[in-house]
Amino acid sequence: MILKIKGLYKSFPQDNHKNIEVLKNLNLQVEEGETVAVVGQSGSGKSTLLSMLAGLDRQSSGSLRIRGQEISEMSEVKLTQFRAENIGIIFQQFYLMPHLTAIENVSLPLEMFGHKDSQQRSRDALLQVGLAERETHFPHQLSGGESQRVAIARAIVIRPSILLADEPTGNLDNATGIQVSNLLFDLVQTTGMTLLLVTHNIELAQRCSRQLQLNSGSFQ
Amino acid sequence: MKNPPAFFWFKLAFRKLLNNRRFSIFFIFNLALGLAGFIALDSFKVSLDNHLGQNSKAILGADVALTSYVPFEENTLNVLEEKLPQNTLSTRKITLFTMVAAKNISRLVQITGVEDEYPFYGKMILKKNGIVESENIEQSLKFSDEVWVYPELLFMLGLSVGESIKIGEKIFRIADTIIDDPSSSFSSFGLAPRIYLGYSQMLETGLLSKKSRVSYQRLYRLPEGADLPGLNVELKNKINDFEGSESKIRILTHNRAGNNLGRLLGYINDYLGLVAMIAVFLAGIGAAYLFRNYLVHSFREISILMSLGATRQQTYRMVLWQLGLLGTGSALIAIIISLGILPLLPILLKQFLPNGFETQLSPISLMFALVLGGVGSLVFCLPVLSRIRTVEPLHLFHENIEQKIVNSSFWKKQVLSYIPLLILSWSLSVWQSHSLIVGSVFVGMLLVSILFLGCIAWLVLAMAGNLSQISGSTMKRLAFRNLQRNRTGAISCFLALALGTLLINLIPQIYQGLQEEVSRPDDFRIPSLFLFDIQQEQMETLQKTLISEKVNLNYLSPMVRARLEKVNGKNFVYSDKVALTREQERQQSFRRRNLNLSYRTELSDSEHIVEGRMLATNYDWDSGKPAEVSLEVRYAERMGLKLGDFLTFNVQEVLVEAIVTNLRRVQWNSFQPNFFIIFQPGVLEDAPSTFLGSIGGLDASGKLKIQNRIVSDYPNVSVIDVSRMVERALKISDQMVLALRLMAYLSILAGLVVVFSIARHEVDGRLWELNMLKVLGAKFSDIQKMIQIEFAVLGIFAGLFGVVLSLIMSYGISWWFFENLWKWTWPTSLASIIGVTSLSVGVASLATSRTLRSSPLTLLRAS
Repeated sequence: MILKIKGLYKSFPQDNHKNIEVLKNLNLQVEEGETVAVVGQSGSGKSTLLSMLAGLDRQSSGSLRIRGQEISEMSEVKLTQFRAENIGIIFQQFYLMPHLTAIENVSLPLEMFGHKDSQQRSRDALLQVGLAERETHFPHQLSGGESQRVAIARAIVIRPSILLADEPTGNLDNATGIQVSNLLFDLVQTTGMTLLLVTHNIELAQRCSRQLQLNSGSFQ
Repeated sequence: MKNPPAFFWFKLAFRKLLNNRRFSIFFIFNLALGLAGFIALDSFKVSLDNHLGQNSKAILGADVALTSYVPFEENTLNVLEEKLPQNTLSTRKITLFTMVAAKNISRLVQITGVEDEYPFYGKMILKKNGIVESENIEQSLKFSDEVWVYPELLFMLGLSVGESIKIGEKIFRIADTIIDDPSSSFSSFGLAPRIYLGYSQMLETGLLSKKSRVSYQRLYRLPEGADLPGLNVELKNKINDFEGSESKIRILTHNRAGNNLGRLLGYINDYLGLVAMIAVFLAGIGAAYLFRNYLVHSFREISILMSLGATRQQTYRMVLWQLGLLGTGSALIAIIISLGILPLLPILLKQFLPNGFETQLSPISLMFALVLGGVGSLVFCLPVLSRIRTVEPLHLFHENIEQKIVNSSFWKKQVLSYIPLLILSWSLSVWQSHSLIVGSVFVGMLLVSILFLGCIAWLVLAMAGNLSQISGSTMKRLAFRNLQRNRTGAISCFLALALGTLLINLIPQIYQGLQEEVSRPDDFRIPSLFLFDIQQEQMETLQKTLISEKVNLNYLSPMVRARLEKVNGKNFVYSDKVALTREQERQQSFRRRNLNLSYRTELSDSEHIVEGRMLATNYDWDSGKPAEVSLEVRYAERMGLKLGDFLTFNVQEVLVEAIVTNLRRVQWNSFQPNFFIIFQPGVLEDAPSTFLGSIGGLDASGKLKIQNRIVSDYPNVSVIDVSRMVERALKISDQMVLALRLMAYLSILAGLVVVFSIARHEVDGRLWELNMLKVLGAKFSDIQKMIQIEFAVLGIFAGLFGVVLSLIMSYGISWWFFENLWKWTWPTSLASIIGVTSLSVGVASLATSRTLRSSPLTLLRAS
C-alpha cells in the first residue's frame, strides 16, 4: 500500500476566531500502481486534500502515510526531501519557470539535488512526453498542451512513486486535454506509478481505476 | 540526496534577472545614481589622503619640527636635540603676519624667514630661476636683501619683479615669484599671500618684538631609518618635564602637518558626504519599491521551486544572489558614473585643494563601492525580502497566489528587518561626518523627515480618496482614486520628491540668510577695517592720527597672551593622540591654542550673557578672591568648562586665579573685536599686551587712505579690510555651496529616477484597466491627463511639504549655528515647488507615454 489516510481532519481559522472544517474524517487506502480520481464541486476540499498529500500543508488531526511513513511526523526539511524523492506534482496552470527552457524546467528538481545525470534524464523525460525537439524552447514559445507536457515531464523526471495531478487538463481545450490525459495515463501505465488526480472532468475521472466523490470535506 | 552544484542557485538567480531585464536595468540604474556621488566623494577623499600622505614631508619641509610662539632658548633646544639621532640636519624658520606697502597700496601678508637648507623635502619652484637650491637662498635671500613673493601679491600691489617692497623697517627687492610652494596650504585660499626672505633679514625688519603672534620653527631632517614615532614620544616626554613657556613647545611631525592641511577640506567633504547620503537614501527607496514589486511577482516561482523540493532557505539564497548581482551591477555602473563626477570635484573645490592634487579612482574606493552596492541593496530590500516568509506553495493548487495570514510575530520581524537599515545609515553618516553628534543628528533628522513626510503623504492620499467621491471629471476622479489605492508607489514617489525638494531648498535657504546678513552694504555694524598688533605705546598717537583723518578707533580692546594651566586645581592637559572624530579634533585644536585674554566689564553690541551675572567693575587684589572671568558659551562647552569653575592662567609666567562668573553668546559675524575669555578690569592691566580695534563707516577710497596711512606710520600694525575678507569668505562659501548644491541635484535626479521607475511600473501594472478605459472610449489625452493629475498632486504636495520642512530645518540650523540669521527666500521656495511639480509631471509623462500610446489590442496582448 502506497497511501493510507485515516481519520484525517483539516480546519482553517476564520476572522471571527472560529474554525472552518474543510476535510472531515477522511479515510483512504491506495495501492501501488492504482489510479484514483477525486471529484467534487468547488470548495469541496479537493485542493486541500491534494496539498496535504503533496506535503505542502499539514493535517489538523488524523494520519497520512505515504510508503509507510507518517507525513505529519516529518520535520520541514525531511518532508521537503521526501517530496522531492517520492511525489510528482502536476498543476492545472502548468507553473513553468518562464525564464528557463523546457529542458531546464524539467531538470530543475534534479539539479536542485545535485543529480549528475540530470541532463540525460530530463531529455529522456521530454522524449517520453514527445517534446524532445522542443527542449530549448521557453514556456512562452510553447502551446498550452506542450506546456502541460513539459510540466508532466518535470513531475515524472524524479521517478516518483506517486503522481498528484490538480485538474491537469483544466486549462486546455478539449482535444488537447484528451491528448494530455492519454499521455498521462500511458506514462502511469508504463512506469507503474500511482496516480491521484483531482478533477471536475467526469470523463477524465472515469479513466481512473477508482473514483472518489468528495462532498463538503467527506468522501461519499 | 546530494546538494545542488555550488552555482546552481546563482545560475537560477542570474537567469531570472536576465529574463526581467527591465526591472534589473531600472534597479541597477536607480541605485547606481544614488551610489555614484558617494563613490566619487570616497575616491576624492582617498586621493586627498594619499596626496597628503605622499607629500606630508614636502608640506612640512622636514621629517619633524619643533614650533613655539616665543624664541627658543638655546639650553632648551640642546636638551631636546640630544634626543635626535646623529647626522640629523636642522634649519630655522620664522613666520608672522604683517602689512606691506608699495605705491600707496598696502596688504596683509604672511612673511616667512628661511635659512639656506630650507626645505629638506619638496621642491619650491621660482618662475625665473626654477627649482630652489641652497645657493639660491644664500645668494638671493641671505646676502642680497631680496625676497620671493607669491604672484598674486604683485597683482594686488601693482608691482613687478625687480621693484622694491618695504617690510617692517627694511626695504627689499623682489627677485622672483614663487610658482610652486609645497608647504602652501591651498592654491589661493589664504587671505594673505606669502613672502619668503632670509632668516637673518627677518630679524632686521624689527617686527619680531612688535608682533603678537610669531611662529618660530626648527625643522629637522632625520637620517634614513630613524624611528620617528619613538622620537616623537621621547621629545614629548622631555617637553612635559619643562616648565613655563618651554612646556608649550609643540612637536609637528610630517604626518600631522599633512593632516592639518587636509582639515578644512575634510569638513567640506563631511557635509558633501551627508548630502550624497540622501541621494543613496532616495535611490534606496526606489530600489526597495522596485524590488518589492519584483518579489511579489516572483512569489509564484518561489512556490514552484518549493513544490519541487527547494527549502525556504534555498529560495532565500536565490533571492540573495539576485540582490547581490543587482548590488554589484549597481556598484559597477556607479563607478562608471562616478568617473564622470570625480573630475568635477577638484574644479568645484579648487580653492581648498593643495597644489598638484590629482584625483584617481583607488582600489579602496572600488572595494567600498562593491561592498556598499551589495550591502546597501540587501539592507534596503531586507524589509521586502522578509515577505518570502509569507509564501506558501500550497497556494499553487488554488487560482491565486495568496499571502499567508500574518500574525503579530510577522509584524515584529517586519519591524526588526528595518534595524540593519538604521544601523547602516547611522554608521555611514557618522563615518561620513567624522562626528558622532553630526552623524546621529543627521540620521535622526532624516528619519523624522521621512516619518513626517510619510504621514503627510498618507493624509494627502486619504484626502485624494475623499475627493474622488465628491466631484470633478471622470479622469480627475479616477486619478484621485488611483492615488488612494496605489499607496506604496504614491508614498514612495512622494518621499523621493519631498526629500529632494527639502535638500535643494535647505542649502540655499541657510546660505542666503547668512549671505544677506554678512554682506549688507549699508549696515555699519560691520566695520570697514580691523586693526591688530597695536602696541600700548602707539595707542595715543594712533588715535590722534585717526582723528586727524576724521575717523574713530572703535571697540579698542587689549589682548594679553596666556595659557590655561589648571581647571579646578587639576592640570589642564591636551591629548596628542590622533583625533578620531571631528569633535575630538576641534576639542584638541581648542585645547592646544594659546589664549588671547582681554578685559572689560561692559558687553559689546554683539554679545549677551546667557548664564551668570555681569563681571564686577574692578578687581581688588587684597580681597584674596579669584578674579572674575566671562567665557564664550561654545568655547566653554568645547573645553568642558562651566559656571563657577576655578581657572588658573599663566600670564607671562605669573599665575592668575579666576572664577567663571558668566557665559556669553557672541555674534561672531559682527566682525567686532571679541574674545573667548574676558577678565574683569584690574587684573591684566600690567601684563604685556597689544591692542586691537575697528574702524567703521569708510568707503573704498577712505579705507585705502587710512590703511596706507597706518602702514606708513605704524608698520607693525596689521590691517584687515573687513569687506574684502567678507567678500573672500563668501566667495569661498559660494564654492562650497555650489559643490553641495550639485550633490543635492544628484539627489533630486535620483528622486526623479525613482518617480520614473514607479510611474512606469504603476502604468504597466494597470495595463488591463487602461486598456479597458480605451475600449470604453477614453482618448490618449484623457488617460495621459489622468496620469498627469496623479503626479501633479504628488509633485505639488511633495514640493510644498519638502519646502515647509526645509524652512523649519533651516530656521533650526540658523538659530543653533548662526545666531538666528534666517530669512525666508521665498523665490527659491516657490521655484522649488514649481520645479519639482513640473519635473514630476514631465518625468511621469515620459515614463508612461509609450505604454499609453499603444493601441488597446497591443495592451490586451501584453496583459
